[in-house]
Amino acid sequence: MELKKIYQNIIEADVEAVENGVKAALAGGIDAGVILNEALIAAMDEVGRRFEAGDFFVPEMLVSARAMQAGLNLLKPHLAATGVKAAGKVAIGTVKGDLHDIGKNLVAMMLEGAGFEIIDLGVDVSAETFVDAVRKGANLIGMSALLTTTMSNMGATIEALKAAGLRDKVKVMIGGAPVTEEFARSIGADAFAPDASSATRLARQLT
Amino acid sequence: MSNINVNTSEFNSVQFERMSTDQCEKIHWASLEMLERYGVKLHDQQAIDLLRQGGADVDGNLVYVKSGMVEKAFTTVPKRVVLYNRHAEPVMPLEGRRSFYGPGSDTLNLIDHRTGERRKPVLNDVREGIILCDALPNIDFVMSMILPSDVDQTIADTFQMEVMLNNTIKPIIAVTYDLPGLIDSVEMAEAVMGGVDALRRHPILSCYINVVSGLNHNAEALQKLLYLSGKGLPSIYIPSTTAGTSSPITPAGAVALDNAGVLLGLVLSQLNREGAPYIMPGMPPAPMDMRTMNAPYAYPVRGIFQAMAQMYKLPAFGLGGASDAKIVDQQAAAEAALTLLAESMVGGNIIHDVGYLESGLGYSFELLAICDDIIGWIGAFMKGVDVSDDALALEIIKKAGHQGSYLATEHTRKHFKSEWYPALFERDNYSTWETKGSKTLLQRARERVEKILTQHQPEALPQDVQAQIRSIVERRMETSKV
Repeated sequence: MELKKIYQNIIEADVEAVENGVKAALAGGIDAGVILNEALIAAMDEVGRRFEAGDFFVPEMLVSARAMQAGLNLLKPHLAATGVKAAGKVAIGTVKGDLHDIGKNLVAMMLEGAGFEIIDLGVDVSAETFVDAVRKGANLIGMSALLTTTMSNMGATIEALKAAGLRDKVKVMIGGAPVTEEFARSIGADAFAPDASSATRLARQLT
Repeated sequence: MSNINVNTSEFNSVQFERMSTDQCEKIHWASLEMLERYGVKLHDQQAIDLLRQGGADVDGNLVYVKSGMVEKAFTTVPKRVVLYNRHAEPVMPLEGRRSFYGPGSDTLNLIDHRTGERRKPVLNDVREGIILCDALPNIDFVMSMILPSDVDQTIADTFQMEVMLNNTIKPIIAVTYDLPGLIDSVEMAEAVMGGVDALRRHPILSCYINVVSGLNHNAEALQKLLYLSGKGLPSIYIPSTTAGTSSPITPAGAVALDNAGVLLGLVLSQLNREGAPYIMPGMPPAPMDMRTMNAPYAYPVRGIFQAMAQMYKLPAFGLGGASDAKIVDQQAAAEAALTLLAESMVGGNIIHDVGYLESGLGYSFELLAICDDIIGWIGAFMKGVDVSDDALALEIIKKAGHQGSYLATEHTRKHFKSEWYPALFERDNYSTWETKGSKTLLQRARERVEKILTQHQPEALPQDVQAQIRSIVERRMETSKV
């Protein structure tokens, strides 16, 4: 019952109700991993479904993700204690020279909502910083660019991963307005995500 | 008889008001509030220093501009800006509500009119696009249209400029990536017009400067504004937020925010050089589409910035003839027509992006040709109604009698050509249309484009001028290698 309420409150983006629900569930002895999977992630899956059906718009998806994060913050210490693993560890950022981060932030939130651990590298991220993140355990890299002049830096990151001998340790997903499937193939990325919702779906397939 | 009338007035055009002066003033005051109290972040020290000397309060890179500085700038900025063609003819007097039309710049994709295929454009496509613009009668100025993929992407702007100068005599609105690109473009235009002073007297060139937001001005934008205003050349200074993401979703709030940046740019340009021509946005920030996170081009929230420009009596840069459709389909034609009509009714001065598809990512020469017809239609629609005795034709009606045959009259012969005739829109009867091949608008547009490209010869520049332009391109290629 408590889980159903958390689920509903995430969809309705009621941060306070989600926090209270998570606290009550934990106090009631429900396992943190169960709360995560059956309330938080399940709710964000439903949000994603509604978005793809055109019933939810991006601002609604965003506030739901915020509500989910509020619940997740309360769960995190318990998850660590019980050894629940994230779905994957994603290092995400806009490439060198590019400061356009609206899309990147949205993808990060949706991935977190899907149970991934996010290392947000921010904007204007160099190839070396991405490589470092892989050294620190990221198993998926998400790169975004809005400019045709910075797009080529995605390929540079992949080359840097190869040079560091890390290319087979990590999957690479890219996106951004000028980016295409064809471009993703040409630079040897593993996936091209046209929007935040498909980024989540692809991340699950890749990891 | 003398037939004297008193107190008569006539409309020379369609009348349309988007907002009252009171509404515009409220937005203006909101912008002033932001300038005075929130401050504007500037990423260029020279700009910050100039504003400080002009009376602004400065805290780090935050600049607080006082209302009095804005008032003063309005006393020196010209209310009329004229763009000239290569022959120094004043073909674009940007005054009042006169509208001029042209393409946009730098799309990533082109729908090849010969194959129908959507592909990456090359420099030769820019050349063909500019020749098309040079020939189309209702296209008044050019922009680079498409981004050529077969040249060094970091200096593509310089290649585009060479192609534009060589293939049209019409005014050019450049979009350069950085200050060096702008300097090259200006020097090329100076070579065409015969020197620095000649270009200033008869500017064939302006530059569309993109600013991150009304409250956050990037270094390149400020440097370009200082360079152009310093030379007395017209700047088109456009803070470009997207409503709902980088400015409020409500149109008044989004416009007020970007307008604060417009006023800041105005003050800066006038501090740098009194009388420097300054052109502001006409299109309000696009409301973000919250389903797709694409910023649409053919949105119906229009005319707000334009009304501000009319209150300020500044020329404005609008947007029309563009579509969010992916190909030239019914949506593209409808959106192109609606946006062109709306922008013209609100009195946009420089209406750009004609022929755009895919929310600014794609171009179609066929759509440009279709828009040329639409602009012709709008021009005819906007005209005032002649109610002179000759136009009322009472005598002719009396003479024609109740049978009413006017076809062979001198009056019809004299006036019928002032009616608008389409170049592409179909008016045949069904069987004639069928006999001519049952062609769709798109097919007819394609044929017109191809016909122009095979027949139209743009006026060539003198050899020595071409060589001067080439040497600037080569200089750029050299420096970009380093």
